[in-house]
Amino acid sequence: MALDKKHIGRRYGPFVYEAGLEKMREFAWAVGGTIPSTGFTTLGAPAGLHPWLTDPEAARSSPYGAMIAMPNFAVVFAIGPFGKACADPEVGVDLLRLVHGEQDFEFFEPVKSGDVLTTNGEIADISSKAGLDFLAVTTESRNQRGELVVKGRWTAIIRNAAPAKAKE
Amino acid sequence: MARTFSVGDTFTLTRKCDRYRPIYYAAASGDFNPIHIDPEVGKSAQLGGAILQGLCTLGWAVDAFIGYLGDPGKVSRVRVRFSRPVGIEDTVVFSGKIVAVADGVVKAEIEAKNQRGEDVLKGAVVEGRI
Repeated sequence: MALDKKHIGRRYGPFVYEAGLEKMREFAWAVGGTIPSTGFTTLGAPAGLHPWLTDPEAARSSPYGAMIAMPNFAVVFAIGPFGKACADPEVGVDLLRLVHGEQDFEFFEPVKSGDVLTTNGEIADISSKAGLDFLAVTTESRNQRGELVVKGRWTAIIRNAAPAKAKE
Repeated sequence: MARTFSVGDTFTLTRKCDRYRPIYYAAASGDFNPIHIDPEVGKSAQLGGAILQGLCTLGWAVDAFIGYLGDPGKVSRVRVRFSRPVGIEDTVVFSGKIVAVADGVVKAEIEAKNQRGEDVLKGAVVEGRI
């Protein structure tokens, strides 16, 4: 069953998240190819990962004066509205038929440990094409100083009928 | 700054989705959707087993660009379509090319192909402030 366009404009938030140094570092490690608990093992940081993302000492002399989060750490603190929209019984998405179709982020201010990020979002679009439903959620996250940190557009694709035929 | 950025510059990064990568990424990101951590659920969703979080693939594309840009705090944009799931033991090669340098922004297009030469991302674009 196709999703109902009447849900366009439905809002979710605010979602408040305080960024912590270890969490930011674990995220960079996991993306960079090692395990999140690398700091407690002999593995060391993976080759090629930028030191300002995992090493507070190295980052002290950077333009930011402190370790910063990988830009795409935004997926951790800004996903709230998208997650809630996909799980919203009123909207009625079948989570087992959902895949993440598209993602767009614009980054403005880097995130440092201790930053408090507040994210609001809304369903920006609902459409259907070739047996697929598209659900797009836009988000805006600001830090404790009110500065814009990241804008996101998150698009889910839901295979809505006869999955064997709709898939590929 | 001495560093110059030019149209036609290229960069690459290779990342393998090792057996537990979706679980490591789940722990770090909070994305514990069962299709990423439970092979049985992945199979029942007709995905052939557990698949990597698309946002981890996006993170790899960002990381590839950071390697070129040299400053993770200056990444200003990333946009991708997830065209094909990344499965366990898949290796993804990211090949970036600078397509524009203007108004203080350097823009790259990135191809991301698995070991079978299939695109796992489509229309991937990253930008940075210079």
